[in-house]
Amino acid sequence: MSISLDNPAPKLEASRSATARSRNVRIASYTILSFLAIFYIWPLFMLINTALRPLTDYLKDPAGFATEPSLTNFSEAWELANFPQYMLNSAIYTASATAIFVLTSLFVAFPIARGYFKGSGVILTLYVVALFLPPALIPQFQLILNLGLYNTRPGFILLFLINPIGMIILVNYMKSIPRELDESAAVDGASYTRYVFKVIFPLIRPAVATVTVLHAIGIWNELILPTIYLTSADLYPITRGLIVFEGVYGSNWPGIAAAVLMLMLPILVLFMFLQRYIIGGLTAGAVKG
Amino acid sequence: MSIMQKNYLFGSAGKWRRLTPLMLLIPGVFLYFLVSLGPSLATTVYAFTDASGLRGAPVNWIGFDNFKEFLFEGLSSRDNIDATVRTLRFSVIVTFVQFTLGLILALLLNQKLRGRTFFRTLFFIPVILGVVIQGLMWKLFLQPRGGPMATIFEWFGLESEFLGGLPGQAFIWVIVVQIWANVGVTMVIFLAGMQTISEDLYEAAKIDGADGWQLFKSITWPQLTPAINTNFLLNIIGSLQAWQLFLVLLGYKPGTQVLGYLVFAEGFGQTEVPAFRQGFAAAASIVLFLLVLVIGFAANRYVNWREERYMA
Repeated sequence: MSISLDNPAPKLEASRSATARSRNVRIASYTILSFLAIFYIWPLFMLINTALRPLTDYLKDPAGFATEPSLTNFSEAWELANFPQYMLNSAIYTASATAIFVLTSLFVAFPIARGYFKGSGVILTLYVVALFLPPALIPQFQLILNLGLYNTRPGFILLFLINPIGMIILVNYMKSIPRELDESAAVDGASYTRYVFKVIFPLIRPAVATVTVLHAIGIWNELILPTIYLTSADLYPITRGLIVFEGVYGSNWPGIAAAVLMLMLPILVLFMFLQRYIIGGLTAGAVKG
Repeated sequence: MSIMQKNYLFGSAGKWRRLTPLMLLIPGVFLYFLVSLGPSLATTVYAFTDASGLRGAPVNWIGFDNFKEFLFEGLSSRDNIDATVRTLRFSVIVTFVQFTLGLILALLLNQKLRGRTFFRTLFFIPVILGVVIQGLMWKLFLQPRGGPMATIFEWFGLESEFLGGLPGQAFIWVIVVQIWANVGVTMVIFLAGMQTISEDLYEAAKIDGADGWQLFKSITWPQLTPAINTNFLLNIIGSLQAWQLFLVLLGYKPGTQVLGYLVFAEGFGQTEVPAFRQGFAAAASIVLFLLVLVIGFAANRYVNWREERYMA
């Protein structure tokens, strides 16, 4: 803000004090925000900083700065931690489970949104109820165990094929698609499958994007289920692999930091492109009352 | 019913027969019952058995024994009750701080400030990173000897073992990381709520000479009711069920367990003497569920009461 002295515009006393107050508010705001931002930037900075330092250097002074940054930790962690395998596993689990979930959900959400089946309201209620039921953890384990799917890829993927919140988002969005479209499609003789894929799917793309991204991030970040269900190291997703790596190389923080950054990168890239859908999904229905 | 009238799929004019949609509906619903709803309900049954994690091992009905053990049997029940109390304490502190901090952040970042997109993104990012990255990042930051936080402590002549210290101290650091990791969601929901408030309301109030606090009290707060309610409920329920950061930050550390962790540890052999006590774990998860149910129900009643008061 600049105040010009040679053209002193006549101002009311009230508005001048209002300007001063809004400036104070701004200064106070920046002070608080910057203070809090420190706790978000500094840990991230230290993570990057540590990842760039040789281990000996780090052990001498853990809080020191990387004087001669090098990328050796990254290549070392990449090999030691069996990263290519874990990344591939994570990618397989995330992609296949998300694809199957979205595909099956479309054909559940559509008839529910339209009320085309007797009892479709009941099905929707069951999805909502699930949010409040006891955790499924123990019987789920017994189920997978007795199906003989313990410590297998299909068994692990099976656990991620449902997402009640995702389903509710899809149903709500589909309700905004006019029914008249169904009518003309039916009259034109389009097949049901074709209609859902070619007409409904493009129209609900924002909701599909939201649900896809949230579901995929959830799988990518999941730690507990791989801990419970996967015992063979060659089946580990990256999260589990990283925790095991931390257990083995406990004090090699430069290596761990490098590994954490490699796990983080894909999520951050995804976030940069799909931020809108992620935040849209988290706030969906939250503010309408 | 108007719905039935507009049933183009099965009406006489419609060319879609009933079969295809039904066949396509079944896989999704079947998966849902198999993997989610069925097991959820079965938890109630398992809680009354001595089920173990071994394939083919016999499962016996033992009535209320698991619950009796959880509540009344000597040393272990004291640990369980401690864990329950700890869960409540964790939830109260996390809910209060995360709610308040989220609201403050949203108020600050709802102003026309340069760089607000940067700040919003910054505070939100931990949410999408997941517990492994959140936890390891802070484990590094909280290294006791010469680590970044230890260095700050030194400036003030303080010393701490952080996560390796006494259970009570370690517990506080988990609370800090929990709030750090999730306050972004609270903030974003508040921001979304604030964006639905009409600018005209503020303009009118300003003409009447209202100051900042009055604007907040008589416009922002009541208008924000839906977002306040959502955040309040989400924070309470979320923090009662949260435990994964305990796993990453502390591992199985006696004196720090919350109920969620107890279920996992008992059920999947993560205790000091590993045993897959799945029946007992199911009972513990029922206790947690009842806690969430009772508190969630009370909170919901309170929220509805507030809504009637403010929105009427």
